[in-house]
Amino acid sequence: MTLLVLLSLLIAAILSVAVGHRDDRLPPLLGVVGAMVAWIGSVLIGVQQWGMGATAASTGTGQVATGGLPISVTLRVDQLSASMLVLATSVALLVQVYSVAYLRGDPRYPSYTAFVGVFTAAMALVVMADDLFVLLVGWEVMGVCSYVLISHHWELEPARSGAVKAFVMTRLGDIGLLFGFFVLGKAAGTYRISEIVAAARGGEITGHEATAAALLVLCGVVGKSAQFPLHSWLPDAMPGPTPISALIHAATMVAAGVFLVARLLPVFGLSDVAMNLLAAIACLTMVGSALFALAADDLKRVLAWSTVSQLAYMFAALSLGGYAAGVEHLLSHGAFKALLFLAAGSVIHAVGTQRLDGMGGLRTSMPVTFVTMTIGFAALAGLPPFVGFFSKDAVLGVAADQAANGSAARGWLVLVVGVLVAGLTSAYATRAWLMTFFGPRRGHATDVAPHESSWLMLGPMVVLAGLSVVGGAAVVKPGFLGVDAEGAHLPVVLVSLAVALGGAAVTVVQWQRLRRADPALALGRLRPVLAREARYDDLVGALVVRPTGWAARFTRLNEEDVVETYVGGVDSSGQWAARLVRWTHNGNAQRYVTAVVIGAVAVAVVIGVVGPS
Amino acid sequence: MIGGLEIIIGLPLLGALVVLLLSRRDTVAAWVGVAFGSATLAGSVVPWAATIDDGGGYVARSDTAWIRALDVRWALGLDRLSAPLVVLTALLSWCCLVALVRRAPSCGARPGLVALVLVLESASIGTFAALDLIVFFVFFELVLIPMWFVIADWGDEHDPVGRRRAATRFLVTTVTGSALMLVGFLLLHARTGTFDVTELPSRAGQIGAGTQVLVAVLFLLGFGAKVPVWPLHFWLPDAHSKAPTVGSVLLAGVLLKLGTYGLLRFWADVPDGAVRVAPYLGALGVVGIVYGALACLAQTDLKRLIAYSSVGHMGFVLLAISTLTEQGRLAANFANVAHGIITALLFFVVGAVKDRVGTTELAGIGRALYARAPHLGAAFGFAAVASLGLPGLAGFWGEMLSMLAAYSPAAALSRSTYVVFMVVAGLGAVLTTAYFVVAIRRVCQGVPDRDAVGDVGRDEWVAWSPLVASVLALGIFPVIMLWSGSASALAGRR
Repeated sequence: MTLLVLLSLLIAAILSVAVGHRDDRLPPLLGVVGAMVAWIGSVLIGVQQWGMGATAASTGTGQVATGGLPISVTLRVDQLSASMLVLATSVALLVQVYSVAYLRGDPRYPSYTAFVGVFTAAMALVVMADDLFVLLVGWEVMGVCSYVLISHHWELEPARSGAVKAFVMTRLGDIGLLFGFFVLGKAAGTYRISEIVAAARGGEITGHEATAAALLVLCGVVGKSAQFPLHSWLPDAMPGPTPISALIHAATMVAAGVFLVARLLPVFGLSDVAMNLLAAIACLTMVGSALFALAADDLKRVLAWSTVSQLAYMFAALSLGGYAAGVEHLLSHGAFKALLFLAAGSVIHAVGTQRLDGMGGLRTSMPVTFVTMTIGFAALAGLPPFVGFFSKDAVLGVAADQAANGSAARGWLVLVVGVLVAGLTSAYATRAWLMTFFGPRRGHATDVAPHESSWLMLGPMVVLAGLSVVGGAAVVKPGFLGVDAEGAHLPVVLVSLAVALGGAAVTVVQWQRLRRADPALALGRLRPVLAREARYDDLVGALVVRPTGWAARFTRLNEEDVVETYVGGVDSSGQWAARLVRWTHNGNAQRYVTAVVIGAVAVAVVIGVVGPS
Repeated sequence: MIGGLEIIIGLPLLGALVVLLLSRRDTVAAWVGVAFGSATLAGSVVPWAATIDDGGGYVARSDTAWIRALDVRWALGLDRLSAPLVVLTALLSWCCLVALVRRAPSCGARPGLVALVLVLESASIGTFAALDLIVFFVFFELVLIPMWFVIADWGDEHDPVGRRRAATRFLVTTVTGSALMLVGFLLLHARTGTFDVTELPSRAGQIGAGTQVLVAVLFLLGFGAKVPVWPLHFWLPDAHSKAPTVGSVLLAGVLLKLGTYGLLRFWADVPDGAVRVAPYLGALGVVGIVYGALACLAQTDLKRLIAYSSVGHMGFVLLAISTLTEQGRLAANFANVAHGIITALLFFVVGAVKDRVGTTELAGIGRALYARAPHLGAAFGFAAVASLGLPGLAGFWGEMLSMLAAYSPAAALSRSTYVVFMVVAGLGAVLTTAYFVVAIRRVCQGVPDRDAVGDVGRDEWVAWSPLVASVLALGIFPVIMLWSGSASALAGRR
C-alpha cells in the first residue's frame, strides 16, 4: 500500500513529462488520476490504522552501507504518518482538480503536474520514513520541488528571486538538520527513527546528546517551517501559482517541520534547553508574523504570514509536550489554510491582482467563493463551531495545564502570547475579509466584471469548507492519533474567544470609522514598519548577503590578479617545458626511445643514490 | 600471458592506431572509435563485477618481471577501490567518443582527437590498474601527453595563444607534481625494497617515522597538484576554459580522480606519516570547498564556474580521505565517481551551449534558456541540482558520507578539529546551492533576450543519457557502491 502511494504519484509525474506535450488534456488528467490513486491508498492505510486497529509496522527493502552505522531503507506506518498521509494526498488531489481550471492552457502544465506529483511523493516519503536519511531524501526533494514551482513563472522577477531565497534559506537550515542526524545516530547507535524514539524513551540518550541533536534538528525545522530567524522566505514564495501555495506553502511542506518535531518529541523532551528555545522561537514568530499579516497589502502575503503564525502555534504546543494538540492544529490548519489559499486563488483569478487594494465588494459577484472563504477566515480566527476553534483551544489548553503544573514559565509564556495572538489573528483575518468582499470595488486590473470561478475550482473549496465545519468533532476526540486529548479549559476557551471577538470588533469599528478604507491605517506610524516587515530582509542583506558577495568578489579578484601574477612568473619555466615538449613530439621514434631510456637511467641513478637500506 | 586488464588497456590503444590509419575518412574514424570504446566499456564491467563477488582482494591480476635490473614488475590488478574508477573512465570515454560522431571539433582533424581520447582512456585505465609503483608512474605520465595535445591543439579556437599557455600550465604543474610523487615512490622502495603495491601496506613498519612524514608530504604535493588541492588549483580554471568539451569532460571526470585515487592508495603505505599530515589535507580540502564556492558565486564564465565547482567538490573528497577511516575511503570513492559523472554532464551541457552561441560568457549566452532551448535548459538544471548535492541524486551520498566521516575521524586525529572541518564543509555546501541557483536564474530563467537556439539533438541525448541514468541510479540506489562489505574490504587488503 505504501508503495502504491509513492509509485502512482511518480509514474504519473514521469508520464506527464514524457507524453504530456502531445495533448493538452493529458497532464491535468495524469495529475488527477495519480493523486486519486495515491489518495485511495492513503485512505486505505488510514482505515487500517484507525478502523482495524493495525499496529505500527515497518517494511524494509535493505540497507545501505556507510562504513559505520548502516542506513536502512525502511518505511513505517503508524497513526501519525497515516494522518499526515491522508492530509497530504487529500490536499494534493483537491489541488490537482483545482489546477485543471486554474492553469488551463498553461504551456508548462506537463512539468507542473510532474513536480506536484514528485512533491507529493516526497511528502509521503517524509511521513512514512523510518530512517533519518530516507526522511532527508524526501525532505530535500520537497525543497527542490518547492523551488521549481515557486519559479513556475520564471519570466517574472519576484518568482525568480523568491525561489532562490526559499531554496538557499531552507538549505542553510538543512545543513544543521544533517548534522543533527549525525549526532542522533551516534547517540542512539542507529538511524532508525523508531529505534531512536525508543532509545530516547528508555533514557539511553543523555541530556547533552539530546540537546545537541535537538538544537541542530531545530535549524532544519525552523528553515522548513519558516520560523524566526529563517522566516522571511515564505511570504516571498507567494509568486508561485496559488494552488502551489495552498499545497506546499500552507498545508504540507511547511508543516513537515512540525511533523518532524512531533516525531522526535521524546528526544526534544530530554532537553529543557531545546524546549525553551522552541517555545521562545514560537512565541516571537507568532506575534511578529501576526503583526506583519495585519499590515500586508497583498492577499497572499497576508495568508503566508498567517501560515507562519499558525505554524508557531503548533510549535508552541509541542514545546510544552502537547503532541496531540500540535498535530491536531497541523491537520486542522492544513484544511482551512488550503481552503483560504484556493479561495484566494479564485479571487485572484477573477480580479487579476493579488493586492488587497485591487479587490473589494466581491461578495455579490462571487457568492460561493465568499461563503467558503468566510468559513476559512472564521476557522482561522478561531470562531466556533469551526475546526480552528477547537484546535487552537487545544493548544491553549496545553499551555494552561503546563502553567498550572509542570513547566510553569514556558506554559505562562505560551498561554499569554497565544491568547494575545488569537486577538491579532482575528483582527487580520477580519481585515482581509472586509477588504476582499466588502466596501466599494476598488481599481480592478481587468476591465471584465469579476465573475464566479468554474466548479472545478469551487468544488475543492466546498469540500475543504465542509471539512472545516465538521472537523471539530475529530479534534475533540483525537483517537486517530492513538493518544488522549490534552484537556481544554473552559475559562481559557472563554477568554481566548472573547479576545478573538474583540480583535474582530476593533477591526470592524476601524473599517467603519475610516469609511471602508484599510483598517490597518489605524496603526498609524507602526504600519509602514510592519508593512516592510521590520526591515528584516535589509538586516540579512547587510549581515549575510552583502558580505558573502564581497567575499566572492574578493576571491575572484584574488584569482584573476594575485594568482595570475605569480603563476605568470612560473610561466617562463612553462615556456621552457613547452619547447621541450615540442622538441619531443616533433622528433622521430628514436627521440622517444632516447627519452624513455634517459628517464629509466635517471630512475636507476636516483635509486642508486638513495640506495636500499 | 595476456590477462583481462591487458585487453581493456590494449583495446583503446589498438583503436587509436586503427583510427589514425583511417584518418582520411573522418566519420568512419569516429565510428571506429565508438566501437573500440564500447568494447572497452563492456570489458571494464567484468572485473568490477568480479570485485563485488570476490572477498575484497585484487582481481584480474597479472604479474611478470619487466625490468629486472630495476626490480620493476608488470603487475596489474583491480580491487574495490580502483574497479569503479575504471568503469567510470570507460563510461566517460564512451560518451566522449559518441559525442564526436556527429559533431566535429571546431578546428577539424577529428581522427586525431578520437585517437587521443582513446590513448587517454588506455593510459588512465592503466594508472588505476597498476600494481607496481613504476608502472603506475609510467601510465600516470602517459596520461599527460595526450591531454596536452587535446587542450593545445583542439582547444578554444578563438585563442590559440591562450590555449597553449593553459595546456602548458597544466602540463608543467602536473609534471612537477609527479616528480615529487616519484621521489616518494623511490623513498618507499629504498626503505621497503619493493615497488609492489599489494605488498607495501604490510611493510609500513620498515619505514621510519620521519621518512613516513616526508613521503606523505611528497604525495600530498604530488597528487595534490593533480586533484587539485587548494592552492595548487591555479592551472585548472584555465585548462577547463580553453579545453574542448571532450577534454574538459575527461580532465574533470577522470584526470582529477588520478590524484585522489593516488592519495587514497598510497597514503595507506605510510600510515604514521599520513596521520601527521592528514589534518593539513583536511584543512586544505575545506578551504577549497569554501574558496571554490566563493569563486563560483562571482564567476561570469560558465566553464570556469564548473571548473571552480570541481575544486569545491574535490575538497569533499580530500576531507573524506583525510579522516583516514574506512568510512572516509568509502565516501571518497563514492564522491569521486559521482563527481566524475555529474561534472561530465555539466561540461557536456555547457559545451552544447557553446556550440550554439559561441561563448561560455554569461553575458554572451543570454537569458531564458528554458524558453530558447527547453531541453538544454532542463539538462543544465538537472545537472546543477545533482551537483549541489540533492539527496536522491548521486552527488549527495558522497558529500554526506564525507561530512559523516569527518564527524568521527580516525582515533589518532583530533575530533574537534574535524568537527570544525565538517561545519565549514556544510557551509560550503550551502554556498554551492547558492551559486548554482544563481547560475540557473541567470542562464535558464528570465525573459528571452535573443533568438531561440537549437535544442538538444538526438546524438547529444545518446551521449548524455548514460550520465543522466547513472546520476539517478547512484542517487536512488546508492547501494550499487555502498553495499554491506564494500566498506570493510575497500582497501584491497587480503
